[in-house]
Amino acid sequence: MDKKVILEVKNLKKTFNGFTAIDDISFSLEEGQILGFLGPNGAGKSTTIYCLLGLIAPDEGSIKIFGKDVSKNRSEIFKEVNYASADFNLPWSLSIWENLLVYAKLYEVPEAKKRITELLDLFEMSNLRSTAIRDLSTGLRARANLCKALLNKPRLLLLDEPMASMDPDIVDKGINLLKQIQKEEHITILYTSHNMWEIEEIAGNVLFLNHGKIIAQGTPLELTKNVLQTGGEQANLRDVFIHLSRNQNES
Amino acid sequence: MNLNRVFAIILRHIFLTMHQLERFFDVLISPILVLTLWGFLATYVQGLQSQTLASFLLGGMILWVVFEKVSTDIGVNFMYDIWDRNVINVLASPITFIEYITGIIAISFIRILVALTSMWLMAGIFYNFQITSLGFSLVLFWINLFIFATAFGIFSISLVLRYGHTIGPLTWILPFLVQPFAAVFYPISILPPLFQKIAFFIPISHVFEGMRFTLRTGQFDYNSFWIAVLLNVIYMAGSIVLFAVILKKIIGSGRLVKLI
Repeated sequence: MDKKVILEVKNLKKTFNGFTAIDDISFSLEEGQILGFLGPNGAGKSTTIYCLLGLIAPDEGSIKIFGKDVSKNRSEIFKEVNYASADFNLPWSLSIWENLLVYAKLYEVPEAKKRITELLDLFEMSNLRSTAIRDLSTGLRARANLCKALLNKPRLLLLDEPMASMDPDIVDKGINLLKQIQKEEHITILYTSHNMWEIEEIAGNVLFLNHGKIIAQGTPLELTKNVLQTGGEQANLRDVFIHLSRNQNES
Repeated sequence: MNLNRVFAIILRHIFLTMHQLERFFDVLISPILVLTLWGFLATYVQGLQSQTLASFLLGGMILWVVFEKVSTDIGVNFMYDIWDRNVINVLASPITFIEYITGIIAISFIRILVALTSMWLMAGIFYNFQITSLGFSLVLFWINLFIFATAFGIFSISLVLRYGHTIGPLTWILPFLVQPFAAVFYPISILPPLFQKIAFFIPISHVFEGMRFTLRTGQFDYNSFWIAVLLNVIYMAGSIVLFAVILKKIIGSGRLVKLI
């Protein structure tokens, strides 16, 4: 049976004052797929995500989520989409519970208190529900961000370096929790990170972006074999990343 | 317009007020301190001059607080989401910009109601000034002040969107640029001719003229009221158009996501 296409990006282009941030990219995500979105700094990953969120208007191309045009049906679509990035916080002086309650209202989550309790239990944060965001460690803040991102049981989750600047133990726990909840709730995920291990752990497919163009795509193992011309059976996205970034920059 | 999402913004600011002392201070303590100052001045003037002049001063001050608080509050409420690095999280949700701004305006409305109630009680108890003596006209003055303050607040947010968050503090000073021309404590007629012309184009100057007319004669000044309404319609439409144009521009240029 064919899987539903959740996200479809066609011929997306964006230029800022003569600088091409996204250069005619097209890709799609099927239901339940986790796509690792890789590329060096300034490759166009975050710009693409902002275009998907409708916060930057593309110059050309189309973005369809659940088969609907984002530019025309944003509010309807985004009831079932969510986003998290380590770059952005939840309001600092509010407690975790208050923050999640506010976002539950924003996303019109049915039985909000039950859902919040469920997520706090899952992320082992129930005892911190009354703690203000400012009093949490970086790792706990990231977990609170992920709780926010999962509140509305999103069909599509956009994660822009959600675990940046966290220690490997916290990243490992976060990845495992995400994998668990993704499996249970059949979430489609677009995931960017500079931590290659993170991508190897979570992503079924990887798309490599540089200078706004897609320069490679495939499973982590396919990319390793094709780019590095090796015959091993172990994905090595770190070397793939370095190889692609340097080659592209030199050319 | 989805009211659940508007309520979410109101709820966020209610929580914020509960946790941040300065927000509580701003809504309750600061208006009471201002009233105390002007109340003593009015009491002094009352002894020297007349009850009417004292009422002009206290009435003018109370109505000015409505304008000043609402116009700055709208900009400050928006700035809180920027300071918290939360604005992108909010805008990435299903909320529309209209719902977001409506929520911010609604919380300013609630906060000024609390401030106005506390000032009304205090002015009545300690200075024997019954703001309700303005009767139903008070509501009409209040609506005009609130509309102009809202237009001003939307203008402030547009400036922040266009020029970035560093311009935020400037937007809190802007209402005071209006004050000399708004004829809060004195009639427009005492202003120099050029200032009188400027004052004519400021809706709240007609509100304060109307307030003084009502306190003096007991009658409602329909002329001032309708001029204020007409000007408010123009300013509100202008601020909304400006906001829409700037928003479209910054979504196109990518500046929206650089706000934080």
